[in-house]
Parts: sequence; structure tokens; C-alpha cells
Amino acid sequence: MTTQKIVHLVDDTTAGGVMRMLDHLLGLPGLADAADQQVMRVNRTALSFGRIDADVIVSHLTLSWRGLPALVTLRAMHPSARILHIEHSYTRAFTALNVSAKRRFFAMLRVGYALFDQVIAVSHTQANWLQERRLVNTAALRVIQPEVDLTDFRALPAPTGTARVIGAVGRLDRQKGFDVLIKAFRDTKQMDARLLIFGDGEEKAALQALAGDDTRIEFRGHCTDPIAAFAEVDIVAIPSRWEAFGIVAREALAAQRTVLMADTDGLRDMSHGTVVNGLQIKSWITAMEDALGKQFSAPTPAEAVYDGMDYATKWKDVFFNDGTPAPSGAVASFVANHQRAAV
Amino acid sequence: MPTASVVVPAFNVAKTLPATLEALLAQSFEDMEIIIVDDGSTDDTAQIAAQFASSPRIRVVTQANRGLAGARNTGIAAARGIYVGFCDADDLWVPHKLATHVAHLECAPDVGISYSGSELVDDDGQPTGVSQRPALQGITAARVFKRNPIGNGSAAVFRKAALDAIAYRPGFETQRNWVFDETFRQSEDIECWMRLALTTDWLFEGVPGLLTQYRVNAGGLSAALDRQLASWERMVTKLRPLHPTFFDQHEDAARAYQYRYLARRAVSSRDGKNAWALATRACVTSRRPLIEEPLKTIVTLAASAVLKALGPAPISYASRLLAR
Repeated sequence: MTTQKIVHLVDDTTAGGVMRMLDHLLGLPGLADAADQQVMRVNRTALSFGRIDADVIVSHLTLSWRGLPALVTLRAMHPSARILHIEHSYTRAFTALNVSAKRRFFAMLRVGYALFDQVIAVSHTQANWLQERRLVNTAALRVIQPEVDLTDFRALPAPTGTARVIGAVGRLDRQKGFDVLIKAFRDTKQMDARLLIFGDGEEKAALQALAGDDTRIEFRGHCTDPIAAFAEVDIVAIPSRWEAFGIVAREALAAQRTVLMADTDGLRDMSHGTVVNGLQIKSWITAMEDALGKQFSAPTPAEAVYDGMDYATKWKDVFFNDGTPAPSGAVASFVANHQRAAV
Repeated sequence: MPTASVVVPAFNVAKTLPATLEALLAQSFEDMEIIIVDDGSTDDTAQIAAQFASSPRIRVVTQANRGLAGARNTGIAAARGIYVGFCDADDLWVPHKLATHVAHLECAPDVGISYSGSELVDDDGQPTGVSQRPALQGITAARVFKRNPIGNGSAAVFRKAALDAIAYRPGFETQRNWVFDETFRQSEDIECWMRLALTTDWLFEGVPGLLTQYRVNAGGLSAALDRQLASWERMVTKLRPLHPTFFDQHEDAARAYQYRYLARRAVSSRDGKNAWALATRACVTSRRPLIEEPLKTIVTLAASAVLKALGPAPISYASRLLAR
């Protein structure tokens, strides 16, 4: 196979989690021989990104009406390139909580997605939504759950003894739902429990006000090393209001921490962890009190060493497979299961 | 599998159930099932339901009393249709109601909740001259919160997928999922609609016409008033964590509309003291009803004031004039 040139489009607002996923993808040994990958920063509201010398162009951009002209130009200027889009942002819960003119929003997404050869969902739940809402042609839709290198997370010693420390990692933003977590934690009865919050953001002052004089709650500021953060905690809480995938859940499970997560969007893809219903203060109090008392049993042996080969294969498939593939078996069976469970 | 299921929660409704079922059996849209949920009735409801069960379209599910929300949840769990409607056992659907909603939902795949206006009828099924004519298009979560365009529990037909999207299973529940929150004995409707609006992206949209006859009983408002207000506040407290900024922005206005709604109910039952108290409370809580719907707000205030000052005669006279 000859080396193909792949250009990833990101903009300045691209979230940290996306950049980490991209760093991992660029360094995947399984892709190195087949793909020459580059990252290109663009202004997504420009009229054009100019001519891009690439066989495959991968958009990591957030779609918007203002961003559509550039995507139309991109399609028109590169008729023979494969142009893919990875949907890192939009989900059902995002739409519910942030979009008032839903019809107009769906119209924008339909127009935007139609410009790509393939749209890649980051979770099965998100793909299910894209299909149910008829936003993407089924034949053009694929699911690839983002991966990062979990080796160091797996290497962390598993917690022992009684679970006592809860951690929350992420931007201090309305999306992450830490307000619910703090309110609920303040009402938990375990006085020796602690809640460590790793992250920074515009909600910091409001969250600190919510924490008030509860000395069990600590704000640790921006977290440069998630592994060090996980080392300090027994339980990882993810009370997100929306979450396209939720890589933190993967990392926490790899580190053998107890995971409490909201029943929303991509977090529904996780096969392990405790699901907490509906961002209710009461359900979070119950979930935390239950998890805090638990004794950790002997750690389960770590899984096989991660080599990223399966992940590389999935990407090779979308980068180099020109034909439109049949809808992935995973999506079909997920949708079928989901519908069965719902009956 | 039937295309549509209509759930009829029935608790001690022997008097009104036959008319409700006749109206459902007379629906022009025939690919449907009717699920009567006998919610632990102690009157003749069970016998009446059994008589109707000879119709192939009717199924009866019996349970120990769980309340309206619990009966509806049982009905949803039993429903096989892709569309699910609710018709409380004292309300009536006009013959083309289901056909209209099914056509609407088939044509508008992003719509999950299709509703229509209602005509209010009295205990004897006679029109009161009052109707609910909600906005039909451009319904946002704020609109649902403030004006509840669905209006009553017998007005809407839902896509089953939309109900499934908010279904959950409380830890202590062993039988089936909850869609309506069974811990609510009032405001269970608006609590459910708000959860649909704030946690799913299904659109709310109405179709023209007064397709439901909704029965309002005359008395009994004042006793229920405090409980009604308390349950509304409980709904707000429960759902605020979903979207705190939304509630910061709309809560006062929605509360004022809620007071105004109850003031109008009090006027209807000729309860001048409560009507005036509620109408003034609405104005003190937020100016938004006065700005957004000045005519209706001023009429409510005026009617409450007249009722309090002069008693029921002028209001009864005015409503007779209007009904002509």
C-alpha cells in the first residue's frame, strides 16, 4: 500500500480531549507505514481553507451555519479527495439543552453532513441519534469510539481498603455538571469522605460558592496529568449534562476506579460503571453514599498490553476504503438491542 | 401490531368510562388498541371494563392502585403501537383526533409530541364555553414551562420512541419502567413534558382544532390549591439541576403564569377570594405575563376583582353572554 496523505482540520476552539485523541491517532504505530498524517489549524468561519494537498481530509470542526461556506468550498475544491467528518460535539442531550430552534439546527446538520463522504460518530448512542433524527445517510455513517493510550492508567495501583475519595476531572463548565455533584456531595453523610475537583474554567467561582464551607471539597485547579489525579482517588464521578463520548470514563475504568456516570449520550456506551439516573441531586447522593462505603476487593489482573492495532485497522478502513461500506454491524446490532430493550 | 395505542387510566370512573370508551371505539383511525388500566378501582369500573373487553381492540390491565402516573406507566409498558396517546377516563376524543395526530406524526418525523386544543366540558358533558387554544408552532422548552401548550393529559399523542427516551427504572421498582414520575400526585403532566423538553430533542407541535373534550369539575379547587402549588414547586426543584440557567431565566415568569392559570380556575369555580389573591400574586411574581399576554392577564385581574368585590352574578352573566 502506498502512503496516503491525510490532513486533519482543527480550529482553535477544538477541545483538549479531541487534541489528545488526535495526538494518539497521529502516533499510532499501526498507521505509520500507510499514512502520512498532518494537523492543519483553520479558521472555521473563513470562506475557504484554500487548497489542501491530501488524499484524505478529516474534519474535526464543529458544524455551524457560519462554518458551512468553508465546507462547501472545501468539497468543491477537492472533488477527488475523501473528506470525512468526526462528530466530536453534537449529541441528543446537547441539542435538548442548547438549541431552541431545533428544526433550523437539524437542517444545518443535514446540509453539513451531506458534504462529507463519511461521518464518523464517536459513540454508538450518538450514531443512533444521528440515524433516528435522519441527520446522516445511513450508508455514510460509521462509529469509531476514540481511544487514547491507556497503558499508564492500567499501570496505576488499584485502590484498596474502603472507598473514601471521589474525583471529578474536567473543565469547570456547565456541561460537566459538577454543580450537581457538589450539591449532592454536601448532603452525603460520610464525614471522612473527600471530593477532589481537577480542572479550571469559567464556573470556578460559582462552584466554589456552592462548595461553601464544606472542607471535604477541594479544588485542585487545572489538571496537567490525569494519571496523577486518578492516583489520588477511589471513585471517579462523571455527572455530565452532555458528552459525545466521555474518554474520562474509559481512563477511570482502565485505572480500576469505581465510576459513577450520568445516563447520557456517549456515556451510555460504557459497558461498566454505575449509571446514575437523570442528573437528580437525590440519585447522586444515593450513588455516592453507596460507592463510598464499599470495600475494594483484590484488584483484577490488568488486561493485555494495549498496542492500538484494532484501532489502527478501523482508521485504515475509513481512510483507504473508497467504497461506501455497509452500515457497520456494530451500529445495526446496537440499534436492534436498544429497540428490543425499549419494548 | 397496531400503529397506535391509547392508554385509558381508570380509577373509580364507572360513571364516565363508557362514554370515553365509546368515543375511542368511534375513532376513524382503526389500526389502534385501547388499553384500559384499572388502577385498583373499588366501584364498578372493573365490570364495565370487562364488558368492553369483548371488543378485539380493547385490552384491560388491572393493578393495585398506583395513581394516575402509575396507571399511565403501566399502559405505556403494555402499549404495542409506535404512537401512544392518553385519554383520561372522564374525557372524550372527537372522532378524527387519532387520525389527525397519526397523520401529523407520520409527516413530521422530528415531532415527538403532537397535541391539539381542547374544549372544556362540565360534569354533564356540556360545553362550558371555555376552550384551550394553545400555540401550535415554534414550541420551545420555555414555552412548555410557561404556557404548557399540551394543556391537559388527554390532549397529546406521543411517539413511543420519545417516551422511551425519558424512561427510567428507579431502584425499588421491580415491574416496569417509569415515564411519568409516580411520586407526583399532581403536576405529573408538566413534570413529564418538561423532562421531554429538557432531556430529548423531540419537537412539540400542535395541530389545529379542538380535538379533546376535557372535563373540569366545578368545585374542589381551593382544597387542592396549596397541594397544586406545592407539587409545581417540587417539579421545579426536581428539574432545576438539568439546566440551572434555563430555570434562572424563566422560573419567575412560569410561576406567574401558574398563578394566573389557577386564578382563572378560581374564577371558573366562582371563588373570588382565591382568584384575587392568585391574580395579584401572579403580577407581583413577574411582569412577563402582562407584557407577553396583556389582554388575557388584564381580563384575569379584572374578573378576579369583580368576583371578589361583587360576587358571582356579574361573572356568570358575562360568561353567558360570551357563550352565546
